[in-house]
Amino acid sequence: MNPVRILTAGAATAAALSLLAYASAVPLAYHPQDAARLRLSWSARPERIEVCRQLSTEAQARRGEHMRQRVECVGGFATYALRVEVDDRAVDESVIHGAGLRHDRPLYLLRDYSVPPGQHRIRVTLTRQEKVDTNPAAPAEAAALEADTGLYAGRSQREATERARRERAAIPPSLVMDTTFEFRPRRVALVTFNAGLRILELRAEALQR
Amino acid sequence: MPLFRRLLTGLDAGFTKLYGSARNPLHQTGTVAVAMLLVLLGTGLYLVFFYRLGSPAASVARLAADPWLGSWMRTLHRYASDLFVIAAALHAVRMLVQGRSWGPRTLAWMSGLFLFGAGLVCAWTGFVMAWDSFGERLALEGGRLLDVLPIFSEPLSRIFAGDGPVPSAFFFVNLFVHIALPLLMGAGLWLHVSRLARPVLLPPRRLMWGIIGGLTIASVLLPASLGPAADPLRLAPSTPTDFVVAWWLPLVEGLPPSAAWSVILAPILLPLMVPWLTRRRREAGWAPSAVDTRLCTGCNQCPQDCPWEAITMVPRDDDRTTFVARVNPSRCVSCGICAGSCAPMGVGPPGRSGRDQLAMLRDITLPALAAAGTVPTVAVCCAQAPAAHHSALRVLGAHVHLVPCVGNLHSSVVELFIRSGAPGVVVCGCPPRDCLGREGPKWLHERLFNDREAELQPRVDRRRVRTATLAPGDLAGTVAAFEQFTRELAALAPPQPEWDTDINDLCDPVPLEEATK
Repeated sequence: MNPVRILTAGAATAAALSLLAYASAVPLAYHPQDAARLRLSWSARPERIEVCRQLSTEAQARRGEHMRQRVECVGGFATYALRVEVDDRAVDESVIHGAGLRHDRPLYLLRDYSVPPGQHRIRVTLTRQEKVDTNPAAPAEAAALEADTGLYAGRSQREATERARRERAAIPPSLVMDTTFEFRPRRVALVTFNAGLRILELRAEALQR
Repeated sequence: MPLFRRLLTGLDAGFTKLYGSARNPLHQTGTVAVAMLLVLLGTGLYLVFFYRLGSPAASVARLAADPWLGSWMRTLHRYASDLFVIAAALHAVRMLVQGRSWGPRTLAWMSGLFLFGAGLVCAWTGFVMAWDSFGERLALEGGRLLDVLPIFSEPLSRIFAGDGPVPSAFFFVNLFVHIALPLLMGAGLWLHVSRLARPVLLPPRRLMWGIIGGLTIASVLLPASLGPAADPLRLAPSTPTDFVVAWWLPLVEGLPPSAAWSVILAPILLPLMVPWLTRRRREAGWAPSAVDTRLCTGCNQCPQDCPWEAITMVPRDDDRTTFVARVNPSRCVSCGICAGSCAPMGVGPPGRSGRDQLAMLRDITLPALAAAGTVPTVAVCCAQAPAAHHSALRVLGAHVHLVPCVGNLHSSVVELFIRSGAPGVVVCGCPPRDCLGREGPKWLHERLFNDREAELQPRVDRRRVRTATLAPGDLAGTVAAFEQFTRELAALAPPQPEWDTDINDLCDPVPLEEATK
């Protein structure tokens, strides 16, 4: 090969490698300079809406031994009205429900709203749509407690405890977060459900590993 | 397709001018992709020792900050993955344009698509492993697209929302996919070449080490950038995006998931349909080879020469004790290499067997040359070579005799030309690594000069026979080779035409007429 050809090939190779290096890290625009966001994100169990009744001793006797429950509840999971306001202007009004075909999975939420940087009043409300008694199973449970003796002693109590635990783990019938927040450019303010305190809270810093 | 073919030839020509036909990387796209896979395995093994599932971004940042080995190993890993994708894509385009994507090659096409797709997924998971702003961007978009499919019980995107740390399980699954897929790719590669005899998996050494050396130098001089660590509550103004593997990202980011899937599925589904869209009727030039059992001596040469393992030897069903060749039409790509490998000329695609080649010479070519009075030097050229090379040889005074592939040429044709008074015969094939028949130039050379079965007879003066390469972009090389040959021929005694040659001398023991009936 003559020297000119070697030099040309070398230059072409160097150019190709430089192009490859550039193509492997092209600075691609992502978010604009003045972007800020409000993000709603949580995962929580929706409330279970039930109608309970006490089964008579005869009704229980007709069932298999392993299916004899004193209190039997039927129902579904609650739906919630979500309303998001930024500076008293509604940016989202929707009805949300648990995931899955029968809406019996946890209620997952992940929504982003663009907000201009600066101070804004944020109001997020989540309200259960269904109207129900505080504890639909209470009358039946009270009656069941007396009848629950012998082999099944304490069973109704355990069922009541489980129902109460489920209720505590579920989203409360009404949640409101109303606050004023300084949105900084290129930052996300996160509204999430604090399951321990059972409130909506706003975070500006991500939880790190 | 002719337009694409011209484009491809033009590109080939450019690269041949730069690197020469023997080291033209465009002729080696498939093997370059395999070489890059090996580089990825080597560098990946090193990198995985330093990767921490519990602190992915920090562990990769430590690697990137290590100027001695970590930085360039990581960069080499990235550049090799980019080159793998580029080489594999070029390989697919090349196969498509050259009509090598249907029929018996469907398995190779489909497994090639799998390898390409798996390579892309490996690249994406690799970027997510680094968990910088680009990795996060890929993960977010991937999560958004996957969430419309009924795969996950909880939407994947939620784990990147910032209301909790991204779970280690996510990085574990990501790492698992990143490591498991290359193992599957090994099986895919085996499938990809399973219908090839003597598959060539690596490029020529000088080219391979040249590419690896070039990438290493680039890795040292231009280390790959690493974006800031992912933070779900910060909006990055830009990300250092690898366009080679994530070219689709800006196209789909603004689209709703269903539309984004359409954008993604189109380039997936269309290549899957290529074998059906590009298939031809298996007749004329695409008809599979056939065996004339009367002529087959059971010598076992055609199965050895067939580049596609399409021929096997089976017991005969007549009173002869020898084996007989049998062509499997579902594997035969009609390259015609077998026609050149058969001494008694009993196998080959219809109309292209050795006897068909001799009959055409006798009936058409030689009478025309005899009518002209003299027989010039003959250039037997591959029809796939650029027409400009054929024209140049004609201008230089050669009689250009086109064949579908030089591996298809029976050595008796060369002998007949010389016995008919041609001063010499130069057989011009494609560059060896760019032969559509895969091994045409190799077997031709062996038959003409190294006595491989179906050899050129000893009575033919080897000084009057030459092989040459017609490489797009190297017309000067073609001209120089031909002129050198004619100069050498001029020093020889004038040829003595044997116009009365009985063609059946070349067709012993079954006369040509009898076999071509």
